[in-house]
Amino acid sequence: MSAALSLRRRGPSGRLTPYGLIAPGVTILILLFAVPAAYNIWLSLHDVTPYDALGDGQFVGAGNFRSVLKNPLTLSSLKNTVLWLTLVTVAIRLVLGLGIALLLQASVLRRLRLVGLTRTLVLIPWMIPPTVAVAAWRWLLDGQAGLLNQLLMRFGLIDQGVPFLGQTSTVWWCIVAIISWRELPFVIIVLMAGLQAIPHDQYEAAAIDGAGRLRSLLYVTLPNLRPVLGVVALMITINSFNNFVYVWLTTGGGPGTYTQVLATQLFSAAFVDNQLGSGAAIGLLMSACMVVFSLVYLGVLQRRARA
Amino acid sequence: MRRIVLAVATAVLAVPLALAGCGGSGGGSSDGTVRLAFRQFDPPTEIGGLQAVVKAWNDKHPDIQVKLETLTGPDSAQQFAREANSGSGPDVVQIANVNVKDLAKPKILKSLDEFAGKTPPETPLDQYLALDLAKFDDKTWALPWTVDTFALAYRPELLAAAGLKPPTTWDELAGAATKLSDAKAKRSGFCFTGASGPGSGQWFPINYYLWSHGQTLVTKDGDRWKVGVTQEALQSEIDWFNNLFASGATAKSMIAVESLTDPQLVDGLAKGTCAMTLMAPQTFRKAKAADPTLKTAPVPDGLKDGATHLGGRMLGINAATDHPDQAWEFLKYLNSAEAFTKIAQYPAATTVLTKMKVPAGEEGYQQQLPHAKTFGRYISGPVPVTTLTKITNAQFGAVYSGQTDSHTAAANIISQITSELESR
Repeated sequence: MSAALSLRRRGPSGRLTPYGLIAPGVTILILLFAVPAAYNIWLSLHDVTPYDALGDGQFVGAGNFRSVLKNPLTLSSLKNTVLWLTLVTVAIRLVLGLGIALLLQASVLRRLRLVGLTRTLVLIPWMIPPTVAVAAWRWLLDGQAGLLNQLLMRFGLIDQGVPFLGQTSTVWWCIVAIISWRELPFVIIVLMAGLQAIPHDQYEAAAIDGAGRLRSLLYVTLPNLRPVLGVVALMITINSFNNFVYVWLTTGGGPGTYTQVLATQLFSAAFVDNQLGSGAAIGLLMSACMVVFSLVYLGVLQRRARA
Repeated sequence: MRRIVLAVATAVLAVPLALAGCGGSGGGSSDGTVRLAFRQFDPPTEIGGLQAVVKAWNDKHPDIQVKLETLTGPDSAQQFAREANSGSGPDVVQIANVNVKDLAKPKILKSLDEFAGKTPPETPLDQYLALDLAKFDDKTWALPWTVDTFALAYRPELLAAAGLKPPTTWDELAGAATKLSDAKAKRSGFCFTGASGPGSGQWFPINYYLWSHGQTLVTKDGDRWKVGVTQEALQSEIDWFNNLFASGATAKSMIAVESLTDPQLVDGLAKGTCAMTLMAPQTFRKAKAADPTLKTAPVPDGLKDGATHLGGRMLGINAATDHPDQAWEFLKYLNSAEAFTKIAQYPAATTVLTKMKVPAGEEGYQQQLPHAKTFGRYISGPVPVTTLTKITNAQFGAVYSGQTDSHTAAANIISQITSELESR
């Protein structure tokens, strides 16, 4: 007897059972995701300030989107978001993350019983809240009393403190360093899990075939890691693209507007200019960018997997 | 099955009801005691006097007990708005002068005119400083509480050694700063916050310079608002500030300093790595605690009417409070001469201010305060002060960092403010 036939025989209450069972989950999803998303769409179509009551606001249609797209800052924010905040930091994290994950798999660490210690040490930056991490880095990079400047002056390399966060030649590299340092452990941990899942006999077979360490890496490790790398890259790309904390707390988008990214522009529009609608419009444009990116990226991954 | 559906429905309904039950402001208790919540946003290190005042009130009024809440951060007004709009939040709230209009517009504050008519405060309402910022739609929405301005804080022995007196014009300040700077001693002649963010303190000296040269960012022309500064004047001002970095009068490291209470300014003045800077009274007191020889003088042109700003705090009553009369009584007490014997700030109530003994070294504030004028010149306009701050700081900072030149930055400021004026 099929399950459907069984439910039909139980009558109306039986047919309602599945709905009753999924109702709590669906309700939570609606409350936590669908309602805020719908409210965000509503905000993007209205002129609202953070001081207005829920539901207050004047309908402006696509006006907020037009003003955001006409703003010359949007293009430079998009460039900074894509290039510096996303591409550079993701590339650095993937390369360093893979390198460190491979090093942590080294047999010498197991022999010396240092596996637990090294893994704990690697996790430390990730355990520190981003606000604390940024505060510590700001102190380190301070133009006068910062540790880095003090060291450079002590070794006679500079006469006067360098405002690392106040000059265009250094500020993005400082932000990249902060993000890479704080977010690297996540990549390492996930890649280590991926490395541990690679069957050891594949390495033995490669060794019998005469493959050295480099060839084993290229023809055994990396192909096996590809799905994990793909998922990690997608996750950290979306996370970086939407990130607000690091840039805002480090530079506030400055010097000038040099480090302004879409997330800081969103915050600035919503809570500095008091235009929640413009902020919501920027948020929706960011979401649209990430949806398109994710669909293309996953499509490419699937095609490669099929091939 | 019915039981399951019923349980789920009950749970779904109970969550919002329970959350709604979390709201509500203030409260009473079974013993008849009224409990008020008073929220302020100054740093905990600066509220010792206020805590003593609240304690004194609670000791005197066992039937009206006040709980002091602290919520620091630049968005404390927005947080209050979110709570008050949903019928909750503190009964009495401290508000920065610039935010009163934002909170009065959606009517989440109580109008105070009726209370002041029934039981007037110690100082008559029309004798408060900054009262223009408490008004909206011909009603009074907050009671001015404390006032401040930025005076020139300096190290007298360094100026004396260089044969200088506190500068009284901006050109004198630039000259004195160059003379006082010393690369070997790692000393800047004049320190100021040069960061580009919307919270950067350079907003104040930028406006002081502008106002003392007869300019203003926006101005009312009949019924409409327009940009009140020429591109040439703005460019010349940007060059003046940028030259401080170029001449070495201000250390380049200041380009990244945002907070007016940054150690580079406070410790810098106290330890001698800054010869002069601009400071609010509270910040000056911190530096003075480390070095009692420090002094203040009016900022350049600070004795000209309207060349400096009159900042401060106000007190408002949440429109959703259950105890408005008790909240008003508490608000009056906070503004009394008795309270200001404990609160180490300048009172907005003029009758209390004139009787106050000014602490040694703070003569600069005392001389400048009567000439300072509120940001009402911007607040009454359509563009939020925060937006003006954001635009101005970003463009000045862009020049300091070499991102752009002063000509382009001045043009950008004017075009962005024009665009804001047209769109609002």
